Amino acid sequence: MSDAAATLAAALDAVAADTAPALLRGASVDATARFDPTAFEMTFGAAGRRLGTAAVGGDAMLADGAGHQWSFAGWGRDEVGRGLLVLRGIARLPDDEHVGWLDGLHRAGGMRERQAILRVLALLPHPERFLAIALDACRTSTQPVFEAIACENPYPAAHFPEPSFNQMVLKAVFTGVALARILDLDRRRTPELARMAGDYAAERRAAGRSVPADLARLTDP
Amino acid sequence: MKLFDPHIHMSSRTTADYEAMAAAGIAAIVEPAFWLGQPRTHVGTFEDYFASLLGWEPFRASQFGIRHFCTLALNPKEANDERVADGVLALLPRYLGKDGVVAVGEIGYDEQTPAEDRRFAEQLELARRFDLPALVHTPHRDKKRGTERSLALVREARFPEERVLIDHNNEETLPLVLATGCFAGHSIYPNSKMDEPRMAALVRRYGVERIIINSAADWGVSDPLKVPKTVAVMREQGIAETDIETVVWRNPVAFFAQSGRLALDDAGTAADSFEGNSVRRG
Repeated sequence: MSDAAATLAAALDAVAADTAPALLRGASVDATARFDPTAFEMTFGAAGRRLGTAAVGGDAMLADGAGHQWSFAGWGRDEVGRGLLVLRGIARLPDDEHVGWLDGLHRAGGMRERQAILRVLALLPHPERFLAIALDACRTSTQPVFEAIACENPYPAAHFPEPSFNQMVLKAVFTGVALARILDLDRRRTPELARMAGDYAAERRAAGRSVPADLARLTDP
Repeated sequence: MKLFDPHIHMSSRTTADYEAMAAAGIAAIVEPAFWLGQPRTHVGTFEDYFASLLGWEPFRASQFGIRHFCTLALNPKEANDERVADGVLALLPRYLGKDGVVAVGEIGYDEQTPAEDRRFAEQLELARRFDLPALVHTPHRDKKRGTERSLALVREARFPEERVLIDHNNEETLPLVLATGCFAGHSIYPNSKMDEPRMAALVRRYGVERIIINSAADWGVSDPLKVPKTVAVMREQGIAETDIETVVWRNPVAFFAQSGRLALDDAGTAADSFEGNSVRRG
């Protein structure tokens, strides 16, 4: 099992004993099973009602191949379970099927299924291949899905082109998301992002509205 | 009193409706997949529709403190459309196992064609396979015959009657449904189907067992507040509070909890049972 999958499995077992082995078995991604995509999707879909959505907590950290580390204490138990399934499922498929498989799982996914997929994108092999899924999530108006990619997630800073990253940051400000939740934001600050933030502050002032304090994070040198 | 509107098409409604519904006490809703008012010509539009019922609408509802669940199916009218029927039937197994899906529906009859017979029966089998109850639409035209045929098809399929909700009943069809083990839904409409005083009269005459009411509000002339408005009329007519609560909360909860997926608590896990009426499946 990959380090990340082992970390998620341990976190799950800490809040719901023996859940991880049962999930992996049901989804046909435990050590011995032959991978069955239909069984996988059934278990992936049912994981929410087995696990609930309460935050998993704990102080364990995830790490990607580039050395970024981040906490997943805020993930729902269902997201931890589904994230684990995605990591194990994709490992069962040949490389050239990864993108098509995950794209289908994401497109057919309910809100919390999509959240789980987005949270583990950075942990997948060659994560840059899944950029289209991440950008699609940034265009959503379903706020929890947007936050799953934008917040506590190293994927955007690591893989988004500048225009997409800047749009995501502005959308976070628009929707009241604290910028502290965007990982590695400081590393991706650019003059263009500062200009966009400054223009937005000016627009707010012209409309007689308050200026979000967070904008200073983007405009201050 | 918490209210449940177990049949409302929120995709066609505004956020102002959600606001008014929440203010009127509606705490939970079921949105059945249905006909959108004009034909869909590609299977892919159903994928996007189902995604909306599983993500976007639950999110919209949650902003107003309302729990949103859905039922998924190929609806009776589009069962006759060969451009989409096979494709949607093939699509459904991918979706019916998901959280938030509390029944297969709306299935049933529109024009009562052979194609509708076939899709109705096939989708009852899907409901059986996925351990889901079934929500059955009854037709506007030739309604009594359509209701009889629906009940006969359920019986022939040996589908458990207590897991079937026959919807859009009126004075003529309700006794037929109550003679079986099926639940009986009533859509309270401004001009057609059923209205508030008639509904109150039905409750006084037949009692509250297995009786459910809904607004069936959609893109047509309809009213998302018909459940609370019917509560008010039932109250005026002296129907006991506990009976009203059975109609607008306990019965729809008992019916849809049979899916094992009616998560009404904040932890997001499905209620294990409600008054012993359901078991966890799944």
